[in-house]
Amino acid sequence: MQRSTRESKQEAAAALTVDITREDRVMKRVFLSPAVIVLLALSIFPLFWSLGISFTDVLRGGSTLEREAAMTGEEASGFLGLDFDVTLRNYERIFHDERLHIAARNTLFFVFVGVTIQYAFGLLLALVLHQEFIGRSVVRVIFLMPMMTMPVVVGYLGRMMFDSYRSPLADLYRHFVTWWDGVPLIGSQLDPTLPWLTDGSWARATIVIMDSWQWIPFVTLILLAGMQAIPDDIYEAARVDGASSLQMFWRITLPLLAPLSLTVILIRGLETFKIIDVIVVTTGGGPGSATESLTMYIYKTALTFGNYSYAAAISFALLVLVIVFATAFLGLGRRAVPRGM
Amino acid sequence: MTRRPLWQTVLLYATVLFWCFIVLFPFYWLGTTSFKRQLDAIRLPKYVPYYDFEPTTEHWDYLINVRGDVTWRHFRNSLIAASGGTFFSVLVGAMAGYGLSRFRYRWPVLNWDNDNISFWVISQRFLPPALFVVPFLIAYSNLNLIDTHLGLIIAYTMFNIPFAVWIMRDFFNGLPVDLEESARVDGANRWTAFMRIVLPLSAPGLVSVAIFSFVFSWNEYLYALMLTNFEAITMPIFIAGQNTQRGVEWWYISALALTAIVPVVLIGLLLQRFITRGLVAGALKG
Repeated sequence: MQRSTRESKQEAAAALTVDITREDRVMKRVFLSPAVIVLLALSIFPLFWSLGISFTDVLRGGSTLEREAAMTGEEASGFLGLDFDVTLRNYERIFHDERLHIAARNTLFFVFVGVTIQYAFGLLLALVLHQEFIGRSVVRVIFLMPMMTMPVVVGYLGRMMFDSYRSPLADLYRHFVTWWDGVPLIGSQLDPTLPWLTDGSWARATIVIMDSWQWIPFVTLILLAGMQAIPDDIYEAARVDGASSLQMFWRITLPLLAPLSLTVILIRGLETFKIIDVIVVTTGGGPGSATESLTMYIYKTALTFGNYSYAAAISFALLVLVIVFATAFLGLGRRAVPRGM
Repeated sequence: MTRRPLWQTVLLYATVLFWCFIVLFPFYWLGTTSFKRQLDAIRLPKYVPYYDFEPTTEHWDYLINVRGDVTWRHFRNSLIAASGGTFFSVLVGAMAGYGLSRFRYRWPVLNWDNDNISFWVISQRFLPPALFVVPFLIAYSNLNLIDTHLGLIIAYTMFNIPFAVWIMRDFFNGLPVDLEESARVDGANRWTAFMRIVLPLSAPGLVSVAIFSFVFSWNEYLYALMLTNFEAITMPIFIAGQNTQRGVEWWYISALALTAIVPVVLIGLLLQRFITRGLVAGALKG
């Protein structure tokens, strides 16, 4: 894997040196420009625009001044003659907004607990799939299914699976309760229903389970590809030296997978910061705001409450959170991964 | 290969079967629920058709015949938005990926080279979409793009481009330059060489980028939620909307959910190797 990358890099480098003719000087811009223009116009520009909006008092239907002007018929005159006020109010509010803090805590819970579970199970399953057994290719196809499924549908599947009364899981638990009641000595009467989606902390855990159900296969498939890229002779050499399979896992597989693991965890972490659709269909952020994520709160602030400037401000709070996560994680990761990998 | 002890083999198969069960059971439940009578779906769980409930096709009939136009409208919206977004992101992504693989760039002021540019491009993929809620809302309502297919196609093109560029650049890096070189010696210019030689040769890469873009756009929720109201509503929004109307009709939602996921899951199963390739390219080189 690594050798072929190096070769292809050399080939690409050889191609780069051909880049001298006038035609090429034009063509290289033609090839790259569309993507750069799209990203500048639809990603970078909105980003700065949004940053600007977050320092104003713009709501749906215009700024406070604009609306006052519309009502009184007077000419609007705010900061520098603009028709809105420049204010830090939105950023002050971030520090007092209890609901925002809950949403941030929930999001961090989804990210840290979710990604930990996904990596742990993903690695375990990758180890299993790395063995030879009958029907391996079929299993790998089956593993793709949750990833391809619409998150909204995953939410509905979760609601059907984790309903406190009508779900197969509730049925199973009822049988367990009956059985447990009859067990001598330690048996006792239990509540025959579990509040999978109706109690705050249960619901948070259930959402993590649903998200993990969807994304564990993703982690598995990537780690599996990484394991298959490790040359067999390393294991042969270790076996000759009398290493046990546990030692081989800790000393060979895990260290060699470390860079890939970092990437997978980072991708999953960054993606989980965006979580909204599963929550919308399962709990709608409830009970109360016990499962509300930041993205969901931003969406509600902008569309339901119509407070554009505050929504912009909290979206930047989210961005700061994401950047801190990514930087801290990459910093820690670089220290953990042996040099030269 | 040394022989495994028996207990390991048993453990191996048990784990695999257990996980396959966990993955497949919800889909089985979705399928059977769409054939259950209302009473069978809302009382104690019924597991096996013909054994503990009598299947009925009335919900599928309702979905396809009675409410067929509504279903088809949302399905078509999804299809248009996802294919449009896929087409443009594959085109623009392949061009930029080719550029980044074959030419040497150095951006003034920032002093960025090809690697910096690629990293900047892929970093856009990981920006939280919530950042764009407010500017997109304002811009789209001023440009009258709210609730149009074009609006969704633009948004989906934007969020699929980074991944497309990343994968295509990697793919072109592995593609030998000799063929296009000889074509250019024969008098073809860069563009002709790109269209006639490079693109056909990179069909596998294009397919995997197309699948990813399509699936992302097909399943996308947040942009569709904020940029559509009625006419251009896509499947995810339509399905999520069933939550509140007339209580939760599990049988109808199950049928609807199946219509929404079957195309994508089928694509996934049929073109499995392209997906794995794309995943690996995306992660290994990251």
